[in-house]
Amino acid sequence: MLILKAQTKWRWIIAGYLFLAGLGAGAYITGVVAGFLGDEWAQLSKIGVALGFPCVAVGCGLLIFDLGRPLNFWRAAMRPNTSWMARGTIIISTFMVLGAIHIAFWIWPFGGLSAGARAVIGMLGIVFAFSTMVYTGILLGAARPIAFWSTALLPVLFFISAASTGVMAVILTASLMGVPHSGAITTLARADIILLILEVFAVAMYFQATHRVPEGRESARLVLRGQVAPLFWLGFALLGLVIPLALEVVGVFALHDGGAATAAIVASISGIIGGLILRQVVLSGGIHAPLRAGRFEFGLPII
Amino acid sequence: MSPQGVKEDVWIPTSCGGCYAQCGILAHRVDGVLVDLTGNPETPAGSGRICGKGVAQLHTLYDRHRINYPVKRTNPEKGVHADPKWQRISWDEALDTIVSKFKNMKDRRGCYFQATTVQTSEIRFAIPAFMRSFGFKNYWVSGGGLWCGNGAHFMNGITHAAWSIIPDWTYNNYTLYFGCSKGHGAGHAALQSSQWVADARARGMKAVVFDPFLSTQASKAHEWVPIRVGTDAAAALGMLNVILNEIGQWDEEYLKLKTNAPYLIGPDEHYVRDRDTGKPLVWDAGAGRPKTFDDASIQDYALLGEFEAQGVKCQPSFALLREHVKKYSLERVEEITSVPASTLRRVAHEFVEHAQIGSSVKIDGQTLPLRPSAAIFFRGSQGHVNSGWNCLAIDLLNQVVGAADVPGGAMGHGPPVCHGHPDTGKPETIPYTCKDGLMIVKGWVYDHKPYPLREPKPPTRLDLQDMFPCSVYNAFTIMSPDWEKYLEDFKIDYRPEIMINFGSNSVMTMGNAEDVTENFLKKFGFVFSFNIYQNEFTEAVADIVLPDCSFLERYTPCVTFPSTFCHPTGMDHWVWQIRQPVVDPLFERRDFNEVMLELAKRLGIQEKYYAETNKLIPVRYGGEMSPEYALDPKGDYSWQDICDRVLKDRLGPDKGLEALKQTGLEKWPTKVEEMYWRWFVSVRIPIYFEFFKESGEKARKLCASFGRENIQDWSFYRPLAEWFPCPSHEETDPDFDLTAFSWRPSFHTQSSTQNNPWLDEISVNDPYVYLIQLNEDTGKAKGLKDGDDIWVENKLGRRIKGPVRLVQGMHPDQLGIAGCHGHWARGTPISRDKGQFFDDLVIVDEKHTDSLTQGTDACVRVKIYKA
Amino acid sequence: MARYGFVIDLKRCYGCYTCQVVCKAANHTPKGIDWARCVQAETGSFPSTLRQMLPMVCMQCAEPACLEVCPTGATQQDENGIVTVDQDLCMGCKYCMMACPYGSRQVVDAWETYFPDAEGALDPYEAYARKKWDEKYGSGVATKCDYCMDRVKQGLQPACVEACPSKARTFGDLDDPESEISILIRREGGFQLNPEFGTDPSCYYLPVR
Ligand SMILES: Nc1nc2c(c(=O)[nH]1)N[C@H]1C(S)=C(S)[C@@H](COP(=O)(O)OP(=O)(O)OC[C@H]3O[C@@H](n4cnc5c(=O)[nH]c(N)nc54)[C@H](O)[C@@H]3O)O[C@H]1N2
Ligand SMILES: Nc1nc2c(c(=O)[nH]1)N[C@H]1C(S)=C(S)[C@@H](COP(=O)(O)OP(=O)(O)OC[C@H]3O[C@@H](n4cnc5c(=O)[nH]c(N)nc54)[C@H](O)[C@@H]3O)O[C@H]1N2
Ligand code: SF4
Ligand code: SF4
Ligand code: SF4
Ligand code: SF4
Ligand code: SF4
Ligand SMILES: [Mo]
Repeated sequence: MLILKAQTKWRWIIAGYLFLAGLGAGAYITGVVAGFLGDEWAQLSKIGVALGFPCVAVGCGLLIFDLGRPLNFWRAAMRPNTSWMARGTIIISTFMVLGAIHIAFWIWPFGGLSAGARAVIGMLGIVFAFSTMVYTGILLGAARPIAFWSTALLPVLFFISAASTGVMAVILTASLMGVPHSGAITTLARADIILLILEVFAVAMYFQATHRVPEGRESARLVLRGQVAPLFWLGFALLGLVIPLALEVVGVFALHDGGAATAAIVASISGIIGGLILRQVVLSGGIHAPLRAGRFEFGLPII
Repeated sequence: MSPQGVKEDVWIPTSCGGCYAQCGILAHRVDGVLVDLTGNPETPAGSGRICGKGVAQLHTLYDRHRINYPVKRTNPEKGVHADPKWQRISWDEALDTIVSKFKNMKDRRGCYFQATTVQTSEIRFAIPAFMRSFGFKNYWVSGGGLWCGNGAHFMNGITHAAWSIIPDWTYNNYTLYFGCSKGHGAGHAALQSSQWVADARARGMKAVVFDPFLSTQASKAHEWVPIRVGTDAAAALGMLNVILNEIGQWDEEYLKLKTNAPYLIGPDEHYVRDRDTGKPLVWDAGAGRPKTFDDASIQDYALLGEFEAQGVKCQPSFALLREHVKKYSLERVEEITSVPASTLRRVAHEFVEHAQIGSSVKIDGQTLPLRPSAAIFFRGSQGHVNSGWNCLAIDLLNQVVGAADVPGGAMGHGPPVCHGHPDTGKPETIPYTCKDGLMIVKGWVYDHKPYPLREPKPPTRLDLQDMFPCSVYNAFTIMSPDWEKYLEDFKIDYRPEIMINFGSNSVMTMGNAEDVTENFLKKFGFVFSFNIYQNEFTEAVADIVLPDCSFLERYTPCVTFPSTFCHPTGMDHWVWQIRQPVVDPLFERRDFNEVMLELAKRLGIQEKYYAETNKLIPVRYGGEMSPEYALDPKGDYSWQDICDRVLKDRLGPDKGLEALKQTGLEKWPTKVEEMYWRWFVSVRIPIYFEFFKESGEKARKLCASFGRENIQDWSFYRPLAEWFPCPSHEETDPDFDLTAFSWRPSFHTQSSTQNNPWLDEISVNDPYVYLIQLNEDTGKAKGLKDGDDIWVENKLGRRIKGPVRLVQGMHPDQLGIAGCHGHWARGTPISRDKGQFFDDLVIVDEKHTDSLTQGTDACVRVKIYKA
Repeated sequence: MARYGFVIDLKRCYGCYTCQVVCKAANHTPKGIDWARCVQAETGSFPSTLRQMLPMVCMQCAEPACLEVCPTGATQQDENGIVTVDQDLCMGCKYCMMACPYGSRQVVDAWETYFPDAEGALDPYEAYARKKWDEKYGSGVATKCDYCMDRVKQGLQPACVEACPSKARTFGDLDDPESEISILIRREGGFQLNPEFGTDPSCYYLPVR
């Protein structure tokens, strides 16, 4: 009769934060990398960089909104020596500053910053964007009693998903802006196909990793077969992986122009929603380890 | 409120009323607001502790769902789930209506008093005094009469002069629990007992718990023995068989001097009596001839053997008992109870070994027998067709090893022997004997003592109870659709007219709500009720509801006192606790005692009321009333005046109400002769119930004379303990493969506490109380998953629904439901639809009644299926 | 300086939830907030089944997981080992709730009455309790058991210790080898919950049997 219940305190808003921080950073990296690839990529590069700061900022807004005492938010960086949230706050803040500078000096309103300076900012930005993407996984991982979160595979999974949703955000924006579906954008779609395939493997390995302890197994059960299963299978597996993968493959290999654009738009929207749902699925599967006393195992009360 | 500028911060000693343990507590009041409740370290009744239910009673005072004003029903439609459409009225209108209803009665005898068992101390004399002065005999201790006590109080009254039994944890090393939770939260001196049992466990005391469910007490025990409900007598008699016929050990001295074991029984199953004195004979083995049981010259009582006395062949009753229990071979018992024969045999051995027959202990300079084994029981094992015999069979285990009211053994509880306060000698409760040498209890809670038996006479009560020889409480008749027919057949020449209800929520605590309401409650043309909440009862049938004070707003002169069942049993202190308001009654609430007194005055019966009170006090609290404090029938007293007089009379002139308000209690040391009284009081108790047969025969003839001979199974009236099955044991329909029973969570009190927000919060998260417990393997075999909603249905097609909890700690063919939950009253919204309403499944009729004690069978055969 | 600790004797505890309710009353914790929670478990298979209550407090860990993750510095440890939350610093991120292995922390989102359907103002007790709570904690911050430091400073026992009907709970100083709790832990094999998290709790349990 071991009854293990998932945490209830971190829900959609925090999922939104984790998701947007990842997506923004992913889009930003896409943008910066695109910037190094030549003129053909210039527009995509701008889109990527432009998405970075606002998405992460909105994400942070969500986090602040979720706080019990939002006015104390500024204190969040007080203990970078131990708290991952403090470190994360520093990382994300730095990223946002860099992202904002990048936008400001390249796109609007100042413009005209030398390509070299841009590259430096971009390189620095990539470091913090990368850290942000990984951090969203590590943040959860620091909650050690929650086996479902406390695994090295979660940062990997979140990183891949962040990259993929970032790429999709760029594709989506570009497609909506009418950027023609050939060359760069198709390459980006091919890259996303690879990311999605990697994500499938990462998810599989992630569930594999959680199977060692009872609370991890219960998390997996909850997510794969229990209450969260519809969200996982329809929301993440179908919307987040199968549909984008299928449409991108079709789009890249079978369609052109308008058809390809439509496929890309649908694939990206679907994949992006799936990315958000992945965060929520992981949060809703967060179950604390049972307390052990002699032969007894006690499920923690709901928190 | 406190005067301006003065910050008030006081602790008021009073008594908790959260359950019937009635612990001594301190109430913390700050600036006129009750802000905390804690234990009162001065009293042995709780000894400074308080339980969760107790603390949660903070909400009982202020709960915004409480009733604050008198109301009347405006929707004439009565019934379960009916909306009474309450309308607020003034106290004057309420009392005028009530008085005019009383005055216009066809026959005053048609009144009925129904009272809750929770506020036990409030009802000791205010109700009976009113009944006697107004002139009616019908009363009902709510669900209690059906569910608890019929067998237990009756048998324990006869064998321990007490309301119940409890182990002497100070010395006990081995306790057998049969369907009770003493020491684990149930109200029998709950908090003191739970400390003592924990101490005993810590020093190695072992408990073996016979229970279908891995209940709280079973979970703390050394061993849990899963047993089918209602089969306890079979288990006990099987073990008795092992003890008497295999092990061959018993406490000779105890049986010879303290029981009727040596009394000679003739072929007619009656005592062989001395021709001259009429006294029962025993066989003096030393002299080789029969003598009267109390003959001082007896050298040695024979317990075994066959003799001839007064020209008849006879045997000591013990020899008959020993022979009789051979019927309970362990193979047969295993079949009935499902408890393996090897377990029963081992437990019987352990029980005898731990009894240390022959050992003694010195306490306060007195050498006493030490018998650290006890077998105890209560509601679980006694709530069956075999109620009375289940109880006796279990207690016989104590009796044969001499473990009764001696150190380490099974103690009468509340402690039955008290020599009284050193200053006044009251309450004095020392048992005495009948002419046959058998014990008669002195202080008793109910009108008729358990022994000598009531003489069967044409009934005068509406439930016919007064016709049955062994009924402590009441009878099943009232709930039957044939009630009217019973009244006709037994020539009761008046009919139910007015019901007065104090608290009781009988719609939820007696049986199927429809049955109770339609067959019984709706037969009263006018029902008025004192309540603190609008509950299922008031909403179904009350015409007027009066806002009662809660226990935190009223005076009670005697709450916990010597011999009452909330008094701890052990060598501590005697305590006499009062109850006092911690704030003045809020809104228009009024104390029910005060209102009853006012009704008596308005009806012009106060003279009689005072006179009856004078007569009742000595019965309830042992010892005559001194003329000085007796109420003058011509006088005019308030409720507080009466409290003051009772206190001064019992405790001394300087211990009136004002004095006790300061301390909340009066205590004095307990003496060894009081606590371990068995060898200090010269009484015997029966192990052979010679008097049943004759009495049953008389009752049978009486019933036959009314043409209703079959109202009971008269074979229950026999001299030796027996196991009789419940209908649930005889069910053959394979679909009905489970027996449902109910158990009590320690953190709820009956149907009273579910609206308490703190207790509700706990319950919602507790893995048991709001769910149905079923054995996991049984459940899985039926394709059920933990948490599935299921229907539980009885043979009459009545069913209840709820989520199932699959556990290993449950007998595979039994099904458990906690407490009295599943409320629907509008007045208690927090409790609504939480948990299951077990009683809806209970069947109350002739077949489900103990023919001996009129106890109700609280187990029911059910089938379950997915909802 | 002391290291305050608890011993909870599982042999004595019979699962009455008194500690949980008394803690509410003593600390005026609002709806849904219980610092002394009790959980139950069953083990073994029929008929060799065991069942037990595990009553909890904040373990006042020597190496508190909650303190480690707290980003604002709101979580602190005093000289007696009591882990506290400074309301003025806490931002209510709930990270400590996720990191504490013992479910000891709770955040009140918004103070709620227990009688939402009742008309009119709060009853005098709820009004009093709310005032007390708001003075000390308010909404939006992490809260937890502090071993009733206000009471302890007045020379009283923690409320749940004083009330526990079976005397299963003992409070004292772990640093004093002669304190009742130190003796109990030594003599009866006291153990800490889930040592694998490296928190070194100051609450010890005595074995079930
Ligand atoms: N906390 C609390 N204390 C109370 C009360 C309350 O409501 N709450 N009510 C008071 C009242 S009025 C009463 S009558 C007493 C009752 O107090 P108890 O007699 O101790 O009653 P229960 O706690 O219901 O315990 C009955 C136990 O018997 C088991 N059982 C059921 N049927 C059988 C059976 O046939 N055989 C055996 N061997 N076991 C069986 C149940 O599983 C349960 O564990 O408690 C009093 N004290
Ligand atoms: N399912 C199930 N049913 C049972 C039992 C069981 O174990 N399981 N046990 C049975 C037993 S043993 C018993 S004794 C009965 C008890 O049955 P009842 O005597 O009916 O007791 P309660 O259910 O506690 O109902 C008491 C009512 O009194 C009210 N009340 C409380 N305090 C006061 C007060 O100070 N003044 C007034 N006027 N009212 C007050 C409460 O609000 C509550 O509505 O239940 C029986 N029914
Ligand atoms: S055991 Fe009963 S009387 Fe004693 S504190 Fe608890 S609820 Fe009150
Ligand atoms: S108060 Fe004591 S006995 Fe009751 S649950 Fe808490 S620790 Fe256990
Ligand atoms: S029990 Fe939890 S909240 Fe308490 S100190 Fe340890 S980690 Fe912190
Ligand atoms: S909720 Fe408060 S105490 Fe907890 S981690 Fe966040 S800031 Fe620290
Ligand atoms: S020590 Fe105080 S704050 Fe902690 S659980 Fe006990 S009563 Fe609550
Ligand atoms: Mo009862």
